[in-house]
Amino acid sequence: MRQRNTSLGDLERVVMDTLWSHGPELSVRDVMDHMGGEKDLAYTTIMTVLDRLAKKGLADRTRDGRAWRYTAASSREELAATALRSTLENVQADRKLAMVHFLDDASPAEIDDLRAALAEVERRHG
Amino acid sequence: MTGVVVTAALIVGALFTVLAAPHLLARQTWLRSTPGETLFLWQAVALSGVVAALLAAPVAVLSLPTDRPWLRLAAYAVSLAMLVRLLVSGHLVGTDLRRRRAEHRQLVDILGERIERTDARAEGVTVLARGNPTVYCLPGRHDRIVLSREALERLGPEELDAVMAHEQAHLSQRHDLLLELFTVLHEAVPRRVRADAALDEVHLLAEMLADRAAARRVGPLALAHALVAMAGGHRGDAGGEAGGTAYPGPPAGTLAGGTQVTTRLRAFAADPAPGWARAGIFTVAVAQLLLPVLLLLPLLWTTSQFL
Repeated sequence: MRQRNTSLGDLERVVMDTLWSHGPELSVRDVMDHMGGEKDLAYTTIMTVLDRLAKKGLADRTRDGRAWRYTAASSREELAATALRSTLENVQADRKLAMVHFLDDASPAEIDDLRAALAEVERRHG
Repeated sequence: MTGVVVTAALIVGALFTVLAAPHLLARQTWLRSTPGETLFLWQAVALSGVVAALLAAPVAVLSLPTDRPWLRLAAYAVSLAMLVRLLVSGHLVGTDLRRRRAEHRQLVDILGERIERTDARAEGVTVLARGNPTVYCLPGRHDRIVLSREALERLGPEELDAVMAHEQAHLSQRHDLLLELFTVLHEAVPRRVRADAALDEVHLLAEMLADRAAARRVGPLALAHALVAMAGGHRGDAGGEAGGTAYPGPPAGTLAGGTQVTTRLRAFAADPAPGWARAGIFTVAVAQLLLPVLLLLPLLWTTSQFL
């Protein structure tokens, strides 16, 4: 189960990359063509991945006859900004749980303290 | 008579552990020299506080002479209300946390570039293309360690090993569950009596515990260098690139800031805690856990005499 989820997750990444670089309005067939022969993937697999991406809100789709055409819901840059924001929000909302480290902007005085502390550690363990 | 004493002890004990102990413990900075034992002590204090608080009212009505049944009901209602409050807090904190993590993991998986590292048992190690120098872990069933590209560039091979060992320790020792427990308890008490310093302190202790695990694996010097490399002097490095979107840095003083890193570094320059201190803290913690049970024993004894 774990294995399968991971590989589907990897596929989502590749398919999103395709939507970003060759979009908008790609059909399942288009996505397969652009992904090239690097992977021997079934049509239904790609369809499933695109369906999942649409359900997650990462891709938008429009009807085209009997098929769907898919477009990335936001650009890679927008999504990267969202990711960064969600990191910061986690930190601020419940920084005790976010486990984010080293995200701070140290002041010059703090950096001096830091270097002094480092010198102490070096004296002891160096 | 025993009933009165036990009831009084439970109430005083509950009030003390809920209201005073978090503030008092947070101020004992010398406890930071033994982060593992001290975190156990924090858990013991928190759990015995909860038990004492839940037991106080029922014990009071059961042991005091009264023939009014509504008093008994009221006592159970008080305990039940506290229990419900605790469970609601647990549910809210837990679901919010898992939703945030799942959403963030989804973004990280789509945007990030996966790298292979043999020293990481996490499901994935992902590099994000942009942002401040950042390393963090996303705990849970599909755990991840996330590095920003800038962190990767800033760290030497040994320092990177240190950072990975630190995050891996968070994940394998399940510090997320520990901190979740404390957050649940924190949010369960009324806002005005919450001890924010206590939550900050247990967070720092978890960091120090992960630091120690990392230092055992890669040596204290590599870890110290990694901490300094990540924390120091990257002002103005972010932003300005790719479309000129400058990302706002986190507000000063809210995070594992320079001062917190300095504290963590100093812990490695200090003498290690002697064995008797560690044993002492451990013993106190166990005693604290047993305390509510011990208080109930004389009561059970006297009740059985009447039967």
